[in-house]
Amino acid sequence: MADQIKGIWKDWRLHVLVFAIVALTEWIGVFSFTVGPGVVLLLPMLYAMLIGLGLFFTPAVKKMQALNAEPLIVLGVTLLIAKIGVIIGPSLPKLIEAGPALLLQEFGNLGTIFIALPIAVMLGLKRESIGMTHSVAREPNVGLIVDKYGFNSPEGRGVMAIYIFGTVFGAVFMGVISGFLATITPIHPLSFAMASGIGSGSMMAAASGSLVAAFPAFSDDIIAFAGASNLLSLSTGLYMSILIGLPLTEKMYAVLTRKKQSNAEIGKGA
Amino acid sequence: MLLKNIQEWSLLLLIFGVIASFGNWIGYSIVPLSAIPGMIVLILICLAGLILQHVLPVNIPSVAYIGIIGILVSMPVMPGSEFVVKWTQDINILALATPILAYAGIAIGRSWTDFVKLGWRSIVVAMFVMVGTFLGSALIAELVLRMQGLI
Repeated sequence: MADQIKGIWKDWRLHVLVFAIVALTEWIGVFSFTVGPGVVLLLPMLYAMLIGLGLFFTPAVKKMQALNAEPLIVLGVTLLIAKIGVIIGPSLPKLIEAGPALLLQEFGNLGTIFIALPIAVMLGLKRESIGMTHSVAREPNVGLIVDKYGFNSPEGRGVMAIYIFGTVFGAVFMGVISGFLATITPIHPLSFAMASGIGSGSMMAAASGSLVAAFPAFSDDIIAFAGASNLLSLSTGLYMSILIGLPLTEKMYAVLTRKKQSNAEIGKGA
Repeated sequence: MLLKNIQEWSLLLLIFGVIASFGNWIGYSIVPLSAIPGMIVLILICLAGLILQHVLPVNIPSVAYIGIIGILVSMPVMPGSEFVVKWTQDINILALATPILAYAGIAIGRSWTDFVKLGWRSIVVAMFVMVGTFLGSALIAELVLRMQGLI
């Protein structure tokens, strides 16, 4: 990002728009409503994203602004990480105490395979489903699949589909489901805090932000656990996919599709 | 070259910091004046991490340096950490997240054409992928934390 950010500070149209979006959305504040026993929380950051997306289609935003906005996301995330760092510092002993849970919950990221793969196969998706469900499809995982199967392979198309969904709606979706699941299930907010660190800064912010809004008493612990878990996911995610996620997905895919295949083979063999 | 980058990073972090400070005021009732020391500390931590990443030959993302520096300067054993902790408490983390997602919304408009080409099945699977990783991790964390008696 070294060279691309020259002179972006001069893009006043962009910064003034973002300032206006932030002022408006923070003024509206958190909006929440109940769905059965659960609570859905809509945070200012969620409408900020949707308003930003909407503005892209108006003359107020030109292609230039959309391009210039990207390095600001990166720098904004650095500020967020710095803030998480200074929350973790004082509570480091607590974090070390919870170390086993933090490390082991990384294996929970394989939940994508057990929950989403059967659904993908059921919906009739073929090898696309391997790229789709082997992980949560952030940048390192896209790299892995493209490297192994090629960009134009079914697996490559699959991982790109989930990547695009995550980029556009990941934060909004995570923000909504994290508050909802934390209020309808007996699972502790701190467990959900650890689960919020899935390897994407904005998704982590949205998921843990909803938890903070729903359980303000735990706010610093939620942020410390979510931040630490996100750092772990960033550093272990790729190896998790290479060593366990992808082989397991291939195996499960073979098992889930065996019935169909063996039927077809019997038909052919006879 | 590095100096030029530092200048650009500082300006952008400053713009971001001003926007976030106003959000911090409107949404969380912390007047910008009392948020200034905390915001400066956070910006300095970011700059230190960005510079380290640029100068050191190893290929580690700058956010890793920034996270570690943030932890180090706020640890109780570090002299002056009580100021870092006290000042940065005046920056609400949600006030930092809102401008990130506002910029992200504007930037992802470019991915919209790809998004609308996704079939309904991809969208259904994507939602289960996210729920899967989230619930999977939460269940394991819950189990371990309960076994340790931490919750």
